[in-house]
Amino acid sequence: MYDPRLRTEHDVTDISDINKAVELLRGQVFRTPAIPSPGLSRLTGADVYLKLENQQVTGSFKVRGSYVRMAALSDAERKAGVVAASAGNHAQGVGYHAERLGVPATIYMPANTPFTKVARTEALGAKVILEGETVAESRVIAMQAAEADGKVFIHPYDDPLVIAGQGTATVEFLEDVPDLETIIVPIGGGGLAAGCCIAAAAHKSTLEVVGAQADAYPSMAQVFRGEKPHGKGATIADGIAVKEPGVLTTPILKAHMKDIAVVMEADIERAVQIMVDVQRLIVEGSGAVPLAVLLESPERFKGRRVGLMVSGGNIDSRLLSSVLMRGLVRDGRLARLRISLTDTPGSLGAVTGIIGIKGGNIVDVLHQRMFRDVPVKEAEVDIAIETIDADHIREIMDALEAEGFGTRLLSDTSLN
Amino acid sequence: MDSLNSSEPPVFADIKDAARQLSGWARRTPLLENTILNDELGFRLIVKPECLQRTGSFKFRGAFNKISRIPEDMRSKGVVAFSSGNHAQGVAAAATLMGMKSTIIMPKDAPRAKIENTKALGGDVVLFDRQTESREEIGERLQKEQGAILVKPYDEPLIIAGQGTIGLEISEQVGEIDAKPDAVIVPAGGGGLVSGTALAISETLACPVYSAEPDSFDDHKRSLEAGSRQPVPNGASSICDALLAPIPGELTFSLNSRLLTGGLSVSDDEALMAMKRAMLSLKIVVEPGGAVALAAALTQKIDLKGKTVVVVCSGGNADPEMLARALAM
Repeated sequence: MYDPRLRTEHDVTDISDINKAVELLRGQVFRTPAIPSPGLSRLTGADVYLKLENQQVTGSFKVRGSYVRMAALSDAERKAGVVAASAGNHAQGVGYHAERLGVPATIYMPANTPFTKVARTEALGAKVILEGETVAESRVIAMQAAEADGKVFIHPYDDPLVIAGQGTATVEFLEDVPDLETIIVPIGGGGLAAGCCIAAAAHKSTLEVVGAQADAYPSMAQVFRGEKPHGKGATIADGIAVKEPGVLTTPILKAHMKDIAVVMEADIERAVQIMVDVQRLIVEGSGAVPLAVLLESPERFKGRRVGLMVSGGNIDSRLLSSVLMRGLVRDGRLARLRISLTDTPGSLGAVTGIIGIKGGNIVDVLHQRMFRDVPVKEAEVDIAIETIDADHIREIMDALEAEGFGTRLLSDTSLN
Repeated sequence: MDSLNSSEPPVFADIKDAARQLSGWARRTPLLENTILNDELGFRLIVKPECLQRTGSFKFRGAFNKISRIPEDMRSKGVVAFSSGNHAQGVAAAATLMGMKSTIIMPKDAPRAKIENTKALGGDVVLFDRQTESREEIGERLQKEQGAILVKPYDEPLIIAGQGTIGLEISEQVGEIDAKPDAVIVPAGGGGLVSGTALAISETLACPVYSAEPDSFDDHKRSLEAGSRQPVPNGASSICDALLAPIPGELTFSLNSRLLTGGLSVSDDEALMAMKRAMLSLKIVVEPGGAVALAAALTQKIDLKGKTVVVVCSGGNADPEMLARALAM
């Protein structure tokens, strides 16, 4: 079985390992842009910069660590092939390089993995085996298979070379924005965060690294508090849904990281939406967790030069779509009203007129006089309206009521 | 360019001058590509994402190039612009940065979100009734009464030169990633962005430049074929709200007729598909009008097999509903 402690042939990862990884990765992965964000700076009061690992090959930072690990394989190991367990970004990271290095790759995924994720990894040339209920179970199976078949298991985070590879993202970030005062980095198993800590400490001792976790999987924060780590349930930040932090990563984080902020599901969802609205960037849940932390406690970061590690952009199109639409409702920018009309000519016109005068933009009208269970002389109409905010919705509803049109809000917003 | 109000078409030196003027103010947007997408497409697709520009579109470049040159003693008079879209936001942001007042004239029925966005950037919004009022009259009155300086959306040399900095940046940035473009495709409404970009490209990379438009607003394509400015037929409609100019600009067409290799056009559905691609593969948000050049490349309106193409994604100011519609494609 894979034992991370056996992978410590050169002790813990240090900055020289990361610098070697920088050289090794040249031309193998993208050197992603780091950009200032005046919009997010305005919103939060911090001076915000973004490291765009959502622009990385395969849409996440994972290709960095997987390449550094796989480049270290011996000829015999390359021939035998590699094994990994992941339904997400790590699978793609390993799959991408396996294909390019000509190394056969077998990726274990949980049995219930959505078809699109399987297909995306297979498209990279990897063999996918669906086994286990959870990623953790798949991982155990994968480790056993690797040992039985004499293949190398590529760990997603608990490997010195993987940590070194992930650290290169922070080295680049600091090359581009050397005077960052804080970096907020997502933590799942802790590979990206451990690399970030080492690179940040080597850059400047006063540079603060803040970890960011989702409330559903606060495992590293729990370990920091001396509690037994756990985590459960579905989260939009599936990239960092890790129940047990790494054996190698945890001490690195403990040595360098002052604290770990934990954010709620709704905050993460809102951060994904704000990245779209304000920054016009597509970011996956785990990649938006640092922004969620910043939005959650702006006073803590006010006036500081803050770098957000935008770790990935692989979000499912349906999930993204529902985040966007829920965002509209949440902000009071979209409302669906059910309005009672007397079924006389012109009453619908009067209703739309009132909404128009009040500045609501009607996007959809559903008028089902024939089929709805309402008295024959009355009718109901459902109208979807673009609005400015919750107050604006209230204003429109009051105006309709004042003219005798009973009005009910169908979409549940912060009005309640 | 000696005058703030020159009506001569800009030359390449004006674009280099604009680049100096914009330095430190406009963002030098990166070039993006996705090697996995390239493999799938069979050609190299490089994107210039102006959705990541200040105010979410390229319009800030031209507006700032003009507004920042207004002499100190004239700044108190403010600027005025007609627009309900990206130009409004570009002008408002540029004026605010220069400590100037901006008045943006918009139709009363413009979406309130756009009105609010423009106000948030510091613009004073004046609404007019399309049925009973003329925006030109309101604009003239403001110019007469306050001496406000009109900032046109495209048919003005400083605006064209400002947008042309995109072409200059592309020519520098492709060198950094060892790419040799075989073609550049740029969205066209009034033609300011494509003419400026083509001017810069003609002096640097010297590769073919194409305009891209919605099928129903293909006035550049038809004008290039006819050799003279052709209007959009009455009643045309498209979801590409940033590209609904009724006819190519005079100044812009004088450049485009000389510099463009041809005009391409795409359907609204193709634009939506391109928006989806942009979101899922390139991880950027592009509005329908901003996606037409990308759409023209993805659907290979010109043969791109084995080639390298640069497309400008000109803006990202799309409503979430439109993004959701694209994602459902």
